[in-house]
Amino acid sequence: MTATLDRPAYATSVAVPVPRRRRFALLRLLGRTIGVTVPVFLLATLVTFLLGAFSGLSPAGQLLGDAATPADVARVNAELGLDRPVLVQYVDWLGHVVRGDLGTSWLNGVSVTEQIGQRLEVSLSVAGFALVIGVVVGTALGVLAAVRQGSWTDRAVTAFCTLISTLPPFVVSIGLIVVFCVLFPLFPSAGYVSPTENLSAWLTLITLPAVALSLDAVSDIARQLRTGLVAAQRENYVVGLVVRGLPPRRILWRHVLRNGSGPALSVLGLRVPMLIGGAVVTESIFGMAGFGRFAADGAVRGDVPVVQGTLVVAIVVVLLFNLLVNAALVRLRPAAQRGF
Amino acid sequence: MRAILRHRLGAASVTFLLLVALLAVVGPWVAPYDPLAQNQDALLQGPSAAHWLGTDNLGRDELSRLLAGSRLSLLAALEAVLVGLVLGTVPGLLSVYLGRVFEWTTLRVMDAFVTLPFLVFAVAMTALLGNGLTQAMLAVGILVSPAFYRVTRAAAFPVAGAQYVEAARLTGAPAWFVLRRHVWPKVLPAVAVTTAATLGSSLVIVSSLTFLGIGIQPPEPTWGGMLATSLEYLFQRPTAPLVPALLVILTVGACNGLADALRDVTGSREARRVAA
Repeated sequence: MTATLDRPAYATSVAVPVPRRRRFALLRLLGRTIGVTVPVFLLATLVTFLLGAFSGLSPAGQLLGDAATPADVARVNAELGLDRPVLVQYVDWLGHVVRGDLGTSWLNGVSVTEQIGQRLEVSLSVAGFALVIGVVVGTALGVLAAVRQGSWTDRAVTAFCTLISTLPPFVVSIGLIVVFCVLFPLFPSAGYVSPTENLSAWLTLITLPAVALSLDAVSDIARQLRTGLVAAQRENYVVGLVVRGLPPRRILWRHVLRNGSGPALSVLGLRVPMLIGGAVVTESIFGMAGFGRFAADGAVRGDVPVVQGTLVVAIVVVLLFNLLVNAALVRLRPAAQRGF
Repeated sequence: MRAILRHRLGAASVTFLLLVALLAVVGPWVAPYDPLAQNQDALLQGPSAAHWLGTDNLGRDELSRLLAGSRLSLLAALEAVLVGLVLGTVPGLLSVYLGRVFEWTTLRVMDAFVTLPFLVFAVAMTALLGNGLTQAMLAVGILVSPAFYRVTRAAAFPVAGAQYVEAARLTGAPAWFVLRRHVWPKVLPAVAVTTAATLGSSLVIVSSLTFLGIGIQPPEPTWGGMLATSLEYLFQRPTAPLVPALLVILTVGACNGLADALRDVTGSREARRVAA
């Protein structure tokens, strides 16, 4: 138990219980997480499915054209199993989804899973880079504002965050294109190249969309981190550490940051759906054939399996990321377990 | 209300929003041209005395289009907020009173709504349920309802268990009386803050959707649609997006400013926690 001696007093009171009980608590935590995540997944996918089912669109109309007789339509619907009760269809569809089969596009008959797979790289590049920018810049600004609390730096950071949080991503995108592509042609304004082909081209192409997409995340993380750090700095244990003569830098990075970053992390989890949604707009502005564009195009053409497939993938990504954030929260602050 | 006007940011926000609303209402009468009239002799012109904000690729007057577009964009955003308000506040209040099963169910439903990515869902709903702004706003309203739900719940929860409420109930006050007299005053400020903040984000979504050309028929002018056209002809007229973009930014900023002012004035802690 020598390792625990290093820990500040607040942590030992929570993290020391007997190993067996601790493992038990972790199992219970896992159980509860699943108990929440699975119903949410089922509900979200049900909404997705019903949306398609009630749209009144059917592949029969699209496959057969306008000259189809009602009998033809009924035959095709029976072949595709669309004449069964909606709930039966949902369970059947969900069974395929769980095995990674999202059906085939009504328009070109290509597997939706395959098409999404091809486009996911583009969106993950942009959204991932945006997330990195958001975390790095947001943390830097948040820590800076919290350390220089009440100074003009603090106020400037707060004002900057308020400003960028009101800027809609597509307006920012247009602004970035005007400045960096039209007035000072430093960046290409459209297109995408895989990083395996040309790494530097990939980086210059995804920079502008990622910056446009990251602004909300930057301001959110910076503001939450500032609030969290300011609150954590006022805790008694920080006074204790200062009195014990620990260097301020060590107190900030080892102790305060660990305890003050909870709210920022939770907000990060909430940001992911927005990042995916924002991708629809940025991808269409910057002419990238990504996941969001695929969803929008599918929706405009009434290609129900494509729309459902993209929504399911988005739901899975969001839920996975939330699980990750929760796990990180628990690791960061063992006390968070009790919140469950 | 008077307190908001004493708040500097609040006064500025309210003034700006009223101005935009006024322009949206009287826009059709003060517009110098028909927003749909094309003029082949004046394509892609810069600002001039005849066309204050210039003309677009079909020679339509930008100022007139902006005025007409304000009405559509604002109405759509209001529609979404109203849907979210009703769908969020009512179950939020009921979840405190109707027992654990209802509570658990609504919580999970709201979690599911939060999981769905906003724009993708709105795009899907508009396209699959017929192309129209009303469908789109219904989708947006559903997706913003969790914010209202949580705020209402957080505000109503402490009141429901408070001793004075229990006392009122024991003395025979009917449920609607308790709700009106004790719960509503606690919930109202939080809901007001959320309404203002949501109005801002709904405006962003409406302009994003119309920017993508979803939910509107082409000649109809909207803020997002005008930005989309200006983007196509960016190399001929790089200043074109400036005014519509500024209008969007300032209106959204004013909504957020109003939300901040309301929060300061009412001291609503619940709203701060959820909106932050």
